[in-house]
Amino acid sequence: MTARPRSARRLARGLVRRVADVMAPPQALAFWADRLVPGMDAGRARVLERRRASADAVTLVLQPGRGWGGCRPGRHVSIGAEIEGRRVRRSYSPTAIRADGRIEITVKRVAGGKLSAFLCDDVAVGAWLDIGPAFGEMTLPAQRDAPLLFLAAGSGITPLMSMTRALAERGMPVRLTLLVWARRRDELCFVDELRGFARDMPGFDVRFMLTGDTATEDDEGIGRIDAALLAKHVPDIETRRVLACGPNDFVDVARRLAASQALAFDSEAFTPPRIADDIDTSGSVQVTLAASQRVLTLPRSSSLLEALEAAGLAPAHGCRMGICNTCACGKRSGSTRHLHTGALEHEPVTALRLCVTRAASDLVLDL
Amino acid sequence: MTSTIRNRVLSAAELERFGNEIDAVRARTVATLGQGDADYIRAVAASVRWIGLAGRLLLMVGAIAGALVPALLWPVCIAGTLLLALSKILENMELGHNVMHGQFDWTGDPQLNGQAYEWDIAGTSDNWRKTHNHHHHTWTNVRGMDDDIGYGLLRLFPEQRWKPFHLFQPVIAVVFAVLFEWGIAIQDLRLGRWFAGKLRFAQLREQFRPVGRKMGRQVLRDYVLWPLLAGPFFLPVLLGNVVANVLRNLWTYIVIFCGHFTADAETFPRESVRNESRGQWYLRQLRGSSNLTGGRLMNLMTGNLSHQIEHHFFPDIPANRYAAMAVEVREICARHGQHYNTGSMPVQFGQVVWRILRHAFPSKPRAASLALQASA
Repeated sequence: MTARPRSARRLARGLVRRVADVMAPPQALAFWADRLVPGMDAGRARVLERRRASADAVTLVLQPGRGWGGCRPGRHVSIGAEIEGRRVRRSYSPTAIRADGRIEITVKRVAGGKLSAFLCDDVAVGAWLDIGPAFGEMTLPAQRDAPLLFLAAGSGITPLMSMTRALAERGMPVRLTLLVWARRRDELCFVDELRGFARDMPGFDVRFMLTGDTATEDDEGIGRIDAALLAKHVPDIETRRVLACGPNDFVDVARRLAASQALAFDSEAFTPPRIADDIDTSGSVQVTLAASQRVLTLPRSSSLLEALEAAGLAPAHGCRMGICNTCACGKRSGSTRHLHTGALEHEPVTALRLCVTRAASDLVLDL
Repeated sequence: MTSTIRNRVLSAAELERFGNEIDAVRARTVATLGQGDADYIRAVAASVRWIGLAGRLLLMVGAIAGALVPALLWPVCIAGTLLLALSKILENMELGHNVMHGQFDWTGDPQLNGQAYEWDIAGTSDNWRKTHNHHHHTWTNVRGMDDDIGYGLLRLFPEQRWKPFHLFQPVIAVVFAVLFEWGIAIQDLRLGRWFAGKLRFAQLREQFRPVGRKMGRQVLRDYVLWPLLAGPFFLPVLLGNVVANVLRNLWTYIVIFCGHFTADAETFPRESVRNESRGQWYLRQLRGSSNLTGGRLMNLMTGNLSHQIEHHFFPDIPANRYAAMAVEVREICARHGQHYNTGSMPVQFGQVVWRILRHAFPSKPRAASLALQASA
């Protein structure tokens, strides 16, 4: 009971929901809700528009269902699609977050990537994708006291692009320099838009750094990130707040070069998941239990169920031979190997059976 | 009727080969799971919803319009009841049962998650996952371990100890069939243990709490809220819901009893599962289970328990694959000299009825239980 008196309308709505809940099982309610008002599901987003972003990337405009929590520039969302009957999910950082609730994601085709290939080639306008709540720590600094420097490599441009756009919308309230790296010119996204910002807004400056092409334009440069390059393009680095995003190696170098000099340094690194192809069962891995917030070091040699029990835990289990599904739990990341079939599984899955699975890499489990 | 089993006793090496060949069938099927299977189960789920809606609407129309034009009452209400029963049968068998085995966990679809699914019967899914998925599927037909042998109520095998109480079982069996979902709902409470004084009342009450909640919800759904929707014409709707649930109970009872209690089905002593190899496990599943012949409609209506043997071999593989797997399984069994128990539903159920009648009276096993493996 809340102290605040509830309005009659809210009471009525609550009553209707409770009655509906009893009159039909939850699966049935979900089924009918989906047919009556497809846009209601906060876990899904509709593809409104698709356009080419670069030689190997597309931009999709998405309309998340009502009740989706929204996203701030710099954060990530999990996007999923059904491919060959399986839900495949990957994280993307929206490149634009619009006032009307729509978001844009820019997807670069990854070699061997199922979801990126699907989103680049197959997904049609009007299709529905899965979408999760926004997550991630790197967002625009609350203080506007210092100029900014954004360092982006590869797909690392995506969170920084949404921040750049957010600042551009507000007329660039703080000076911003964006250095963005790519191998070749045709792999760069948002080039025209960024050049437009640079032309129109005196506080904004962009450099396109190429590592496998020659520079032909005024705003292009060549070479990997190093001290000389930073000194040349950002002579006032000690006055700036730096945000870097890209592969692990890139972010490590950026941190080494900039963290001690700059006013502040924030970064987010990503690296494509290391695909374990172990035959070796020796050694141990780190298993993170997300629900109970524990990190364990477990041997790779035994089943996850046995390893967890040996570590003093008592996960729910039944037959201990992979039939009864009692020990099924979600895996958020990491590679596992099935003890009977030897099959390797790299995808995050909703139900992995602890009793017939052993870890092949570090794991995050929903336990 | 006596058992007609003609099984070759397998050597350890043969048994291992048998297990490996069954494993290979499994691996070949798993490798081809894909969009077709996901589409199939979603089509079943959609059928359940649409047929259920049609049934409930017809019942409502029959009740209300029937009050004005009496000629409409019976035909429309009967059609509505049959559709509602059909929807409930499909939901229990092909959708709920199979999803709860985790057969579609690989899709990653939260609506098809085996741990999360809650089905439309009096018992809770959590209890079912325990009594059925774990106890019954692990200890299939092992006396004292698989509670599904007679559900602690019926004596179906001569190896079960006879008590005078069993004289009443022909009647008890009928009542149990009509109230099947309620029997399943309280199966895990093991009231027998409480009657025997092995379980404290406080414990029983604690265990009953979620079951009671689910039971209350089901009663409220089918026997209060939906009939109330018809206002003063609630009686035909109430009756239709009662009949639909009973029809579903009778059908599931028949299908499930045909799965393990036919003439050739065997039970096993506890010793048989000590250090059981994978081959032995498969063999026990084979000898404890029996299939039903019939076409695709039979497969659909029984939740593919018409392929009980394949279901017990591969409980977590999408059931729509069993028919194709059965062709290979049958051939492997034949090659290893193992009886593959199958027959039409009338014949198989006739054998079940015979067991219920025969073993109501004292009976003795004909011969010592067959060994699963040659002794060394």
